[in-house]
Amino acid sequence: MNPINRLGGRRLNLKNRLEEPEESLPRRHRPDYWLVIIVVILLVIGLVVIYSIGTALGLANNVSNNFYINRQLLAIALSVVAFLAASKIPLVWWKKYYKLIIAAATVATLIAIAMPVNPQYPAHRWVRLGSLSFQSVELVTFAVVIWLAKFLSDRIKNKQLSNTRKAFLPLVVALVVMGAVIAGVQSDLGSIGVILGIMTICIFVAGMPLKKIVTVSVLIAIVGILAISLTPYRRARLESFLHPSSNCLTSGYQSCQALIAVGSGGLLGLGLGRSVQAYGYLPESANDSIFAIYSEKFGFIGDMVLIGLFVALFTRIKRIAVQAPNNFTKLLSVGILTWLSIQAVINIGAMIGLLPLKGITLPLISYGGTSMLFVMLAIGILFQISRYTSYVQLNRNDSGDKQKERLNDDHTDRGRLRRAYNATPSGRP
Amino acid sequence: MKPSFSMPTLVSGVSRRANIIYLVLMIIMGIFVVRLFYIQIIKYGYYHAAALSDQQKEYQIPATRGIIEAHQGNSIVPIVLNQELYTLFVDPTLVHQPKKVAATIAGVIGGSASNYQQEMQIKGTRYVVLARKLTKAQSSQILAYKYPGVGTQGQDYRSYPDGDLASQTLGFVNNNGQGEYGLEQALNSELAGTPGKLKAITDANGVPLAAVPGNIDRAPIPGDNIITTLNMGIQAQMEQILKSEYKKTKSQRVSALVMDPYNGQVVAMANYPTYNPANYSAVSNPSVFQNGVVDDDIEPGSSMKTLTTSAALNLGAITPNESFYDPAHWVIDGFNITDIKQDGGAREQNIASILALSLNTGATWMLMQMSHPGGTQITGHGIDAWYNYMTNHFRLGRITGIQQGYESPGYVPPPNLADPSIDLRYANTAFGQGVQLTAIQLGAALSSVLNGGTYYQPTLVDATVKPDGTVVKFKPKVLEKNVVKPNIGPELVPLMQNVVKAYLQGGFYFMNFPSNYMVGGKTGTAQVAQPGGGYYANIYNGTYVGFVGQGKPQYVIVVYNIKPNIPGYAGSYGGQPIFADLVHMLINDGYITPN
Repeated sequence: MNPINRLGGRRLNLKNRLEEPEESLPRRHRPDYWLVIIVVILLVIGLVVIYSIGTALGLANNVSNNFYINRQLLAIALSVVAFLAASKIPLVWWKKYYKLIIAAATVATLIAIAMPVNPQYPAHRWVRLGSLSFQSVELVTFAVVIWLAKFLSDRIKNKQLSNTRKAFLPLVVALVVMGAVIAGVQSDLGSIGVILGIMTICIFVAGMPLKKIVTVSVLIAIVGILAISLTPYRRARLESFLHPSSNCLTSGYQSCQALIAVGSGGLLGLGLGRSVQAYGYLPESANDSIFAIYSEKFGFIGDMVLIGLFVALFTRIKRIAVQAPNNFTKLLSVGILTWLSIQAVINIGAMIGLLPLKGITLPLISYGGTSMLFVMLAIGILFQISRYTSYVQLNRNDSGDKQKERLNDDHTDRGRLRRAYNATPSGRP
Repeated sequence: MKPSFSMPTLVSGVSRRANIIYLVLMIIMGIFVVRLFYIQIIKYGYYHAAALSDQQKEYQIPATRGIIEAHQGNSIVPIVLNQELYTLFVDPTLVHQPKKVAATIAGVIGGSASNYQQEMQIKGTRYVVLARKLTKAQSSQILAYKYPGVGTQGQDYRSYPDGDLASQTLGFVNNNGQGEYGLEQALNSELAGTPGKLKAITDANGVPLAAVPGNIDRAPIPGDNIITTLNMGIQAQMEQILKSEYKKTKSQRVSALVMDPYNGQVVAMANYPTYNPANYSAVSNPSVFQNGVVDDDIEPGSSMKTLTTSAALNLGAITPNESFYDPAHWVIDGFNITDIKQDGGAREQNIASILALSLNTGATWMLMQMSHPGGTQITGHGIDAWYNYMTNHFRLGRITGIQQGYESPGYVPPPNLADPSIDLRYANTAFGQGVQLTAIQLGAALSSVLNGGTYYQPTLVDATVKPDGTVVKFKPKVLEKNVVKPNIGPELVPLMQNVVKAYLQGGFYFMNFPSNYMVGGKTGTAQVAQPGGGYYANIYNGTYVGFVGQGKPQYVIVVYNIKPNIPGYAGSYGGQPIFADLVHMLINDGYITPN
């Protein structure tokens, strides 16, 4: 037993700090408004693109020209509420009530599976209420991110990360169950891929031995190859990815049209109102293919701006993750970073012919309410975490008194330092 | 002593690995930038071209074809109109439920659903025509289902308010919008107009996108309307006459022509058997498309004697009242040219009886007079003179240029004096064997004699109406002046009237016309050449050329009866009755302008 434990109240205090650092967060300070600014710009870009192809979408789906933009505005309004809520909810709540979220995700998935399917999209992926629909897998992904942060931070705390039975097995079981339901029943290989990516990266970041990760990866690769080779349309997609030009009229149609859209944008793009590919050539122009339509409109320059914005977003999130006050919030931030970045990479990669098509939306840009809602909820959580970040750039040099002192006292970077200390406690955010 | 912290180490481990993930992510973003540079900058030309080849479509906007009109009484009425019908097509790559779609289509327009379904599953094409000539109602009914990949395309079709009236003269318009046969072929460019052009960036369904610059939109220029010289009343009656005579004579074809000798305008022109141009594709024997009046170049037989007589009169080789001794046969190049026995053998004959009795020896004698007045030899001089009259004055051996598709030039044997049997050959051509004429050539040539010596190009066009409504009157086109002297017509007229009289006296009572009308004519019964030489023993063509009028010949009429299956002379029994019916009709229905 650690001798410190027997040293009385002062030492017990210290123990508390060590064992449950999450309960005693550093002082609140000014949150990361840059995060919000970047997110708002991305949302506006998405709205502009969806608005500008409203006519094409209306024609293709036999709805009014404003149908899509109105629904997207509604989704964003709901998402802003979610963001505000998440930015107020104490971070410990997520940890305390993660089981509720998992339960909600399970129920939503069961309802989606039980619901009669839409003949146009014969997959059990949606919960429908009147004209609103809800994609259960988005909630599942969100739940996975929360659960992973809680689970892994607990395992780190208990030093059980290398324990096969305590740490590894539950993860594998969770993956197998989700794989069976999402890939098997809901036939949504893209989403399970995203979840798998989130899990793998979070486990790696948490510090699980690489050997285990590699073992599981090999197993998953085998299952994945089987899943693809047993389903004709997936095989066709992969085939068309490997030989894009030979299948332009059949299975590779969307890939070809996406490349044409991106390429024909050129340096400056065709202009906001001048996308042609949205008019029936490129399927899913508001959702999966929105990056290609954006590229067609705004060209290479526009793409640099958009990718720059995503890089900025990811950089802010990474920064929040690195500076987050404890392992739960760190892993939560990493989970969200992984979630958003994997979706962005899969989506853009498919549009520029580097990855096969997976039916994954581009976060904050694509049309789609459920995705928007949970992404904004996650952004709200990040925003909340950013109130408690500390300048803990320990890196490899974590010995030496000065830096340890900074760990304890210096919660902010230099710019915020002055404001934080000059302000009265009541005036602090 | 300070406590040893394990937390910071762990935290830093998480952060460090988060940084690794971030670094990987940034590398991926860097790859994306490079890839975008490659696609959008380096390969821009390729993708720009690929986009255009998909998105840019060029359409021809068909111009409205001009309509065709004709005279009826004092008014002008349409005989060919346009009607918009629809072609139903599918893009097999876009049809999701071929069985269902096929059943729907069959339900609307009839036909076999399984056939439609088969055609919808043809691979390797994006355009399959399922049906043509749908009505507007049928088209909208099918389009209302909004099946992907199913579309209709409006197209103008010709419609014929008078059914098969003047069908060969009009011709038809094929599925590609090209006129075939008749006026439609000859005046295709005037009728067709200039198609418009639409070059535009379109959506995937081919609908042009207004917002994209660089589109070309040129409106089509409609074709001219044509007002023909045809008289509907005469045309319709002529067709009835031809039909009933055709049935009596069981011919291969009967054709007739009524034209105005003073300007070349064709008043009526018809053939039987005929067809309905609205349904031309149902015709199994395409020879029915031919307008025999301009296309059947046959040996006319004795009706040719009118032209030989005119030439000889004009040359002064003979005079209208001249008599000569007919030996009943000439031996030329070792062959006998004889008359038929009924003509009474060797005796005194005159010019009138040459035509009335249709003496071949008489026609040969006229050629001898053209060679040397008073002589009984055919010489190169006579041959050249006859050839000159036929080809240069009467313009035989070349097309007249009437506005008809597939006009035949006919044939006049060249005056090759080195040919040992050239005399025999020309003795024959003088009475219409070994020379080939179309009815329109014969009619135009006789017209030039009767009108005082001007050869008008035969025409079917009275006026053209431009898209802006301007009416351009068609002026008679003079192709030859001084064909014959002005007095030759008046000399020929009584000779031909005499032929009519002689037939009436010979028992052809249908040739009895009111005495205040001027009716003249000449029969022709021609042997039909066998392919490979010689003539058929029992097959003849019957021809007739004549005129009717008051005070002067008002109409020239030509009748061709191809291979009538009748006893007796084809000209007298196959051609002459049609001529007689036509003349009676013209007189009885008041088409003859009173003197």
